Amino acid sequence: MKKKTDVVIIGGGCIGAAIAYELAKKGLKDVVLIERGTLSCGATGRCAGGARQQWSEPANVLLAKASIEKFKNFEKEMNRDIGLVNGGYLLCAHTPKEAEAFKKNVKMQRECGVNVRIVDPKEIHEIAPFLNTDGMLLGAHCPDDLHADPFLAVQGWAENAKRLGADIELHTEVTGFRKNGSRVASVITNRGEIECNWAVNAAGPWSQIVGGMLGIELGTYAERHEIAVSEPLQRMLWPLVVDFHVSIYFRQSAHGSFVFGHGNPDEKPSYNIRGSWRFIEQISKKLTTLMPALKDIAIVRQWAGLYDMSPDAQPILGKVSDDAENFLVAIGYSGHGFMLAPISGVLMAELIVDGKARTQPIDALSIKRFQGEKKHREHNVV
Amino acid sequence: MINTEILVIGGGPAGLCAAAEAAGHGARVLLLDDKGILGGQLIKQTHMFFGSHLQYAGTRGIDIATILIDNAKNAGVQLMPAATVTGIYEDGVVTAYTDDKFIKIKPEKIIVATGAYENMLAFPNSDLPGVYGAGAVQTLMNVSGVAPGNRVLMVGAGNIGLIVAYQLLQAGIEVAAVVEATDKIGGYYVHANKIRRMGVPILTRHTVKQAWGKSGVEGATVVQLDEQFRHITGTERNFAVDTICLAVGLTPLTELLWNAGCDMRYIPALGGHVAWHDENFRASLENIYVAGDADGIEEASSAMIEGKIAGLNAAKNLARKTNLTQKLYDERIKDYHGQLNQLRRGPFGEKVRMGSGMLTGLPPAVDAPIESLPTDYRAFPAGARVVIECEQNIPCNPCETICPHSAIKVGKDIVNYPTLDPEKCTACAICLTRCPGLSLFVINKEFSETETEVSIPYEFTPLPKKGDVVDALDRQGNFVCKGKITRALASKKFDRTSIVSIAVEHKYADTVRHFRADGAPKPEPRVNPPADIPGDMDAIICVCEDITRRKIEEAIDRDGAQSVDEIKRLLRCGMGPCQGKTCQRLIMQILAKKLGRNIAQFMPQTYRGPMKPVPLGVLAKANDEEKN
Repeated sequence: MKKKTDVVIIGGGCIGAAIAYELAKKGLKDVVLIERGTLSCGATGRCAGGARQQWSEPANVLLAKASIEKFKNFEKEMNRDIGLVNGGYLLCAHTPKEAEAFKKNVKMQRECGVNVRIVDPKEIHEIAPFLNTDGMLLGAHCPDDLHADPFLAVQGWAENAKRLGADIELHTEVTGFRKNGSRVASVITNRGEIECNWAVNAAGPWSQIVGGMLGIELGTYAERHEIAVSEPLQRMLWPLVVDFHVSIYFRQSAHGSFVFGHGNPDEKPSYNIRGSWRFIEQISKKLTTLMPALKDIAIVRQWAGLYDMSPDAQPILGKVSDDAENFLVAIGYSGHGFMLAPISGVLMAELIVDGKARTQPIDALSIKRFQGEKKHREHNVV
Repeated sequence: MINTEILVIGGGPAGLCAAAEAAGHGARVLLLDDKGILGGQLIKQTHMFFGSHLQYAGTRGIDIATILIDNAKNAGVQLMPAATVTGIYEDGVVTAYTDDKFIKIKPEKIIVATGAYENMLAFPNSDLPGVYGAGAVQTLMNVSGVAPGNRVLMVGAGNIGLIVAYQLLQAGIEVAAVVEATDKIGGYYVHANKIRRMGVPILTRHTVKQAWGKSGVEGATVVQLDEQFRHITGTERNFAVDTICLAVGLTPLTELLWNAGCDMRYIPALGGHVAWHDENFRASLENIYVAGDADGIEEASSAMIEGKIAGLNAAKNLARKTNLTQKLYDERIKDYHGQLNQLRRGPFGEKVRMGSGMLTGLPPAVDAPIESLPTDYRAFPAGARVVIECEQNIPCNPCETICPHSAIKVGKDIVNYPTLDPEKCTACAICLTRCPGLSLFVINKEFSETETEVSIPYEFTPLPKKGDVVDALDRQGNFVCKGKITRALASKKFDRTSIVSIAVEHKYADTVRHFRADGAPKPEPRVNPPADIPGDMDAIICVCEDITRRKIEEAIDRDGAQSVDEIKRLLRCGMGPCQGKTCQRLIMQILAKKLGRNIAQFMPQTYRGPMKPVPLGVLAKANDEEKN
């Protein structure tokens, strides 16, 4: 392991791997990515793998839009199959309130240049013939959204970062930092110390712990989200379906299995990642209600992962403290890290190499937003 | 939610004994088993068991199953067959899938007696229909009454391989050969002798190299191995077989213990990862006990005692006071530990003695010296006498127990060799029908002036008739001479072992140990493998997801994978319905070999509920009921 480098990235999930790749691609090859376990072993490896542009906050829409463009080109650029399903996203509304919100969001999203439209139940049936549309008022459909295998995407970023000169150190856990005035002088790990010009916190649900090592309160916290997978079937559903009313999302992967999960409003912040029996009962009820044809299909595995929640369910990017001016974060993705990873890699690389994010402004995602009055919470969260 | 004091998972010998023991002391006990018929592997065991009468030695496995089920019923155990436990959750709830229902159980104590699963071997075309695990072959033959094929290659000469080869012969199925990768037969010699004298070759330092066939196995190539277990080119032999039976060891089935969060240890001598447990079989989680093969591969006899110890302790540690007194507990626990130590004596207990030592961190129990084989052991007796051909320290004594004249002595230490007192032996031959190894014979040298009568235990049908002229065979199944059947005795008392006597010339008295009535066997047909057999790298390792050895080696070499989990993420190995039971061990072996590490350094993938697939509709229904 190097003793001195330009950038140390903490975390080998999708965010860290994408940053390492984009830095190396921009010519900054003196990068060491450190990962406590193995690539994708934290939140990324447990996530469903959806990427959508349908958000309620314009900043998120623009980030997602740029990400999706990169995903569409991923297999070519990285020379790796990532199980991409170009199936779009279908959001379903059951109440007039939801329907109104959808219409408003779609209008805003279209203004952002997203190919999205409101569809009626008949059109929903055409898009997803096995979906039970009873009680659905309308849907929002974006055919350009997609879903893919997060493991393979991280592998793609990591192997290309390595190819371009970056180092990836697995089983390397950050234990602290050495400071020099208001700068991080080095990252201390279980395998030794690495002197660096930049330290990037991409530790996902563990971001608050890494911040704490520098005495910085980041405001992020970990929250368990449960998920399960069925046996594989022939293709019967293209889009990833989200139903906020029932609180469920599900997709049929390239492999043919259905992956499905929900948000539990009673979930308390914790690092617990054990699955519960209640979850598989509840999610099965929801899924078979929306997809009655799946009732004889079996669940083969359930698991849980952690969201790295931020106070407004939007990511936090960039510098976080004047006391650690070369310490950057790409955290708080609140369950949407995978879909925002491609653009996050680009923006963070720009921030480090060019001194500012060029592709898109990221001021709105600064941690400073929590000091002001006005907060725009992202509502389209499952 | 079903409430019970003790939940036993698994209805094999360990589970049934655990349940009966606990219920016998007044505990409320529920037992679940995923199979429709209780008894575990016992229901496939048509042979007589070893051990002492305390573990029903000399009784056939199928009959022991009936006894144990009755014991459990009589003790008041609530039995629930065909109920698959799918998880042990954080809140202590155990879920199961049964009869199209998803049920939840809240027990105070759990006894995990889930047994073991079979190890697989990967070779080119090992995914062809006709390649079976030995357990599947036994289920087909002995439970469902279906012949798995016509001609079988058995891989593995441990007790399971030897016993199943013998059962195949009993079912009228040819066994072309038994191959064994190590340099010695791992099972009891008495089991090996049963098939050898029927002419089945046992090829040590050999393995199966490849199989071939269009829609199923049509043939297999066997190859000799060097000391490093590498194929020796030029030693290939081809067999025309339609079935390849794999009996290459067992792995403790511990997925529920992992799932529950027990402290697990890798102990090769016990067959793989097992839950750490104390001497009373309590795991690191204090409400979980283990028993039987799930805590280390051993015999059914020891599984029964482990079950009793676990059941006894689970009952003792219940919150409610049962009718188990401290005095009774002390008596029983001493007795059971004594029985277990007795079964674990001798060379066959060495592995488990060592494994238990590694598990607890204590030095393995020192085995007291065993009586050596008497020098006059093979001394040929005058007149009609029993000849004992049991030459290993097997923990077993039914011969002593059954002899009405006290002519056979094993002694208190049941791993001793049986010895015969010729003065007391009347050559009644009853012992021939009780020896699980069929290793006792009666030789009557005074049958006639020219002939000796050799009486052998015989477990085949039809029985020959008196006066039939047959081929007399030696211990390796070679033709010795013609012999005449003098007697063929079957009796209810003999419990399905008959006694057949053959008259041969005196000089063959110590040579003839078997016969065949149907003439010389056909010579091994000459077959050649087709040219298009895939190579070793194309062998399928993960059968659920069709992942070849090549892909796994690429993931290690090219993608830098160094763990089972990384390979799983890259290739989906172990993500299928079996959750890695087939491929995981093979992947660990590949990793260990390629990275030059010890297999103990690799962790299996995370086991996730539900352990067996459960239909979404069934779970949805359970959700409705939960709400009501």
